[in-house]
Amino acid sequence: MILQFLANGLIAGAIFSLMGLGIGLVYNTTKVLHIAYASIFVSGAYALYFFLKVLHFSLFFSIVLAILIAMILNILIEVFVYKPCYLKKTSSAIPLISSIGTYVVLTNLIALIFGNETKIVTSGIEKSFQFGSVILTRIQIIQFAAFLLLFTLYLILLKRTKFGKLIRAFANNPELLSMCGVEVLNLRILIFGLSGIFAGVASCLVALDIGIDPYAGMSILLVALVSLIVGGVGIFESAVFGGFLIGIIQNLVVWKISARWQDCITFLILIFFLLFRPQGILGIKKRMEEL
Amino acid sequence: MNYILHIIVMIFIYGILALSLNLLIGYGGLISVCHAAFYGIGAYTTTLLMMNFNMNFFLALIVGVLLTSAMSLFIAYPSLRLKGDYFFLASLGFQIIIFAILYNWVNLTKGPYGIPGIPRPHVFGLALESEFFFFLFCGVIFYLIFLISKVLYNSPFGRVLKAIREDEIAAEALGKDVPAIKIWAFAISAGIAAIAGAMYAVYVSYIDPTSFTLDESIFILSIVLIGGSGNLKGPLIGVVFMIVLPEILRFLRIPDTVAPNVRQIIYGLALIILMKYRVQGILGDYSFE
Repeated sequence: MILQFLANGLIAGAIFSLMGLGIGLVYNTTKVLHIAYASIFVSGAYALYFFLKVLHFSLFFSIVLAILIAMILNILIEVFVYKPCYLKKTSSAIPLISSIGTYVVLTNLIALIFGNETKIVTSGIEKSFQFGSVILTRIQIIQFAAFLLLFTLYLILLKRTKFGKLIRAFANNPELLSMCGVEVLNLRILIFGLSGIFAGVASCLVALDIGIDPYAGMSILLVALVSLIVGGVGIFESAVFGGFLIGIIQNLVVWKISARWQDCITFLILIFFLLFRPQGILGIKKRMEEL
Repeated sequence: MNYILHIIVMIFIYGILALSLNLLIGYGGLISVCHAAFYGIGAYTTTLLMMNFNMNFFLALIVGVLLTSAMSLFIAYPSLRLKGDYFFLASLGFQIIIFAILYNWVNLTKGPYGIPGIPRPHVFGLALESEFFFFLFCGVIFYLIFLISKVLYNSPFGRVLKAIREDEIAAEALGKDVPAIKIWAFAISAGIAAIAGAMYAVYVSYIDPTSFTLDESIFILSIVLIGGSGNLKGPLIGVVFMIVLPEILRFLRIPDTVAPNVRQIIYGLALIILMKYRVQGILGDYSFE
């Protein structure tokens, strides 16, 4: 039994990690708490539904288009909402509130177009595979494989390319970076594009598994934020650690207590970390003034 | 006539909520998304005491206010250490935990089934069954809260809170007890929100957890941000705008199925546009610097 719950936890964790990587990338560099990321997730999933079910494109082509739409939408939010705040050097409250507004607008726009009820993207029973005592469906295996692939690529990008170096430099000291002659605004656009890809992939994987409704983004985003905090803000890979931890804990709660208390436990963990270890598990201790 | 009374009663209830959240946002400078949690704790405590122990409304209200104020410690204490985005996340976590408790502690709150048949209060032996009497009653309570807020905002307490908002270290250096003042601000704000919750419960006579979600918190936050914070008139203008707006949409013959979404899109856009061109809201003072 426990192996099955651990496996489920790892697969749930893979999705949280993808979202956590995406929002962490934005938060570590631009310091914007990107709440509207929840509607990027939902947009990607609805784009997949639209291309696959309404226009009857092929699955591969639909997924590529869905990821592209998530990416473009994320960049548009940066250009029209966050960039003006950045240029005006406002306090972090302004982009946060604008982000909440953007989330409200996009979510309801999607609900207006597609309706409030859940849309199922795939039909029929998924093929499942048995590994010893653990049973996994095909889509669950794909979810995990897609996560591994994307995470490996992301690590290579961060550690081995010039773009990765720029991202890390941006996180470290944005002012110094722009003094070195780097176009920070363009870099921000690339960062939001990359983060949009994470949301796009995660949303397609979730939509193919359980379908999508306009409000599904927020709950996944919130868990991704918890993963980010638990893993450690400021470190790009940390959300993966937090994501798996939260995924496994959530599934242990389902096993030992009840699925109903998942949210409660998850957010108790968040508050615990915010209070006693705000730098996360992997983070380096900072003074409160620097946070 | 009852229709107009209903709108005014809703304005009173949300007015109470906005005035109480204003204390945290406009004076404390804290962007908090857990007001629906306080509102919900107040509504549930009052209701359960009235229904299970046959308690008088006012007694139940007082216990509800005290309990909600005490519960606010769970978020007031983190607020002493967390700033900006981190406090926002903590308040978000608190909101979700309280919602999960209201939703899942079925033995106590009846969870998703909700609690129907909440009786209206009796005042001087007069049951407030008629909409008009309830409207008067609600108006009196609102006016009391309005006066309390007015005194509070202009009192030394309100000014110290503003000083902390502007510069916490400077306020501390001048000998102000910053932690105590913040904890009091939360307790008072939560207590006032609990009054709104109790009024809502006896007015609608049915409560369930879906009235106290994160979306509701974001709605209350939007009222204060759109109207503007840091003074008395801002939040109240926000309430009138946000409560009357959907009624106007009704007259524009927007079908009921899409009206809630249209309403939310309008207030989301209002938030974005205000943050771009008028950070302090329609009539507010505080602009998050």
